[in-house]
Amino acid sequence: MNRRDLLVTGGLALLAGCSPRAERRRADVIRLWVAPNAAEEAFWKIAVGRWNAAGRGLPVRFTTIPTAGNSEDTVLSALVAGTEPDLCTNVFSGFAVQLAALGQVIDLATQGGFTDLVAHRRMDAIMPGWTRGGRVAAMPIYSSPTLIWWRGDLLEAAGLSAPPATYDEVYRFCDRYVRPGARYGMQVVAGRSWQDRWFDFIAFYYAASGGRPYLDGDRALYANAAGLAAAGFMDAMFRRGWTALDFDAEEPLVTGLAAGATRGPWDVERYARIYPDTLARIAVGPVPAVQSGEGVGPGSTFSDSKGAVIFRSSLVAQQAFEFLAWVLGDEAMNLLWLQRTGLSPARGDLLDNPRFAGYYRTNAIARAYAEHVATARPPALSEHTIDVQKIMTSRLVEPLMTGSAAPAQALADAVARTDRMLEAQA
Amino acid sequence: MRTGRPLSREAVIGLSLAGAYLLFAAVFWAYPFFWLARLSVTQWRFFDEPVFTGARNFLRTVRDPQFLLSLWNVVRFLLFYLPIAVAGALTVAFGLRHVGRGKAFVALCFLLSNVSSGVAMALVFTKIFSTTGPLNALVFDWVGVRIPWTNDPTLAMLAIALVVAWKFVGYYGLILYSGLLAVPRDIYDAARLDHAGPLTRLVRITLPLLNAQLMMVLVFAILVSFGLFTEPFLITGGGPADGTATPQMLIYETAFRRLQPSHAATMSILVSAVSYALIAAARRLFERKVVLA
Repeated sequence: MNRRDLLVTGGLALLAGCSPRAERRRADVIRLWVAPNAAEEAFWKIAVGRWNAAGRGLPVRFTTIPTAGNSEDTVLSALVAGTEPDLCTNVFSGFAVQLAALGQVIDLATQGGFTDLVAHRRMDAIMPGWTRGGRVAAMPIYSSPTLIWWRGDLLEAAGLSAPPATYDEVYRFCDRYVRPGARYGMQVVAGRSWQDRWFDFIAFYYAASGGRPYLDGDRALYANAAGLAAAGFMDAMFRRGWTALDFDAEEPLVTGLAAGATRGPWDVERYARIYPDTLARIAVGPVPAVQSGEGVGPGSTFSDSKGAVIFRSSLVAQQAFEFLAWVLGDEAMNLLWLQRTGLSPARGDLLDNPRFAGYYRTNAIARAYAEHVATARPPALSEHTIDVQKIMTSRLVEPLMTGSAAPAQALADAVARTDRMLEAQA
Repeated sequence: MRTGRPLSREAVIGLSLAGAYLLFAAVFWAYPFFWLARLSVTQWRFFDEPVFTGARNFLRTVRDPQFLLSLWNVVRFLLFYLPIAVAGALTVAFGLRHVGRGKAFVALCFLLSNVSSGVAMALVFTKIFSTTGPLNALVFDWVGVRIPWTNDPTLAMLAIALVVAWKFVGYYGLILYSGLLAVPRDIYDAARLDHAGPLTRLVRITLPLLNAQLMMVLVFAILVSFGLFTEPFLITGGGPADGTATPQMLIYETAFRRLQPSHAATMSILVSAVSYALIAAARRLFERKVVLA
């Protein structure tokens, strides 16, 4: 090969490397993307294997979402490049709404078998949080309510036999436990970014309001008694020095720097791996509210849930939904999901269904989360989640942290600004 | 038919080498640039055809309070960053001049922070600046108060400036050190004969003769401040009260979270224009032509 041939070959190789690798749409296979973590990958490997072996429908081929960062960016890039699969899991409801607004996903409520699936999983209380204008952009797979983890031994030392469930109980505990500047009662604010609002104010608001929505299309709805109660609680904790501005330096529950903090079921595996001794001393309690939910069932809280979408470009949308309905509807598959991931399937009968009884009998923390699956609420279905929660951060939570505004004033300001922003966006 | 002279061997090699670069520039610079320019005058949401909207995106962007605040935050950052970075870099440069053996090793150590992962550094500094972190524990033990490093808009910006300065001080210091090496010793000797003290020598000789290197550091600092993303994103999340939100964070969120790429493209063009204008102004104000006769 002479030099010129070498240059031409090299150039062609370079160009070939730059060529789009978009797969042509296929009607003979269902392409599935799943969350890029070992536990979920292991589950889908078994589920897909069983589906393909049984020959129930079109064969399924799955890979994890090819991402080094977050799934949303990758899905978006794939859509622009035309390399998206037919079916994709790990989609949170807000992103599904954005994809629906852009016309990229199908309405799952129109698929044959949807109503049966919802009825079979007893999802009546869950689906309203995933439905907008009668359309369902994503089918919830699992629901991860946020609850408060308390150090049981510290509660006991302070004379409490059960985790605090009301603001007054939290205050009484803090009064006994807190040493100013040295140890705190509870982590109240989850962090500084807009996503953190799901794990503090929104969770407190859901708990105080019994799961009422905080946003409705073009209007913020949290300027009410429940919003004021939640904001008042946060303010009181900061003003009395019972919580710190942040707990970034260490895991507060491990050292007892804070006796309580909001945690999700995904933390169980992390604690089991890194802090097994602390996990053994954890008592899980509800997100506190003005009144406890005792006698009226579990209180509401925020649910970090993920679902599955089917892309509009799919040639096998109905077949993809049939596969999804089989995985989500099959109780053996749901039990396998629980065992592999520790995340509660989004279904309303987790504690009534005998198929799951064995799992929850031996797993107290999982049971506490399962109790809240039906009453936990997902994020508001909004295209403007970031802006709504950025305003919530800068106009409500940060003023409460620093004491620069009274709860009622901060609440009114945040809601007014949110309404103005939504009006301008509309 | 006219046939030209065949290309010489050197010309073929030269064209091949330049061609690779030109191809690279066309694919990874020119194409995105023209696409960006097109986006800024259209409305596009990833999946539809861009629709021409003229200057609407520009008008919307220059009236966007979040965008204007992010530009103001760059100025606030520079007010902290420039004095810290330049003073630190001068200290490194003067210090290196007095290092005897192992100068290369010391210089490399200063560069380590520059090549360290920004994400890892941000995570470490997040812990250091935490109100319950080691720095605050020390301060609390001494004076009984905790400094809200990341919860006060001014302190948060100072914290970010300290982290970024820590990353770049060694690099800037080496640039200034190379300038110091070029200053002839004779000038200092002559100044000493004229009884010029250390401060006079610094202000009248060293700094004027380092003008080219100082300008380079200034330009780099301005570019760093407009490209700031990782540190504020991870340490403060842009808060408090959007006091550390930078244009790059806003562009990223607008394009990939709000799904408004046209708006983000317009922001990026305006940010480029503002950074160019600031650099041009800085050069006009501070750049001097220094000639040793």
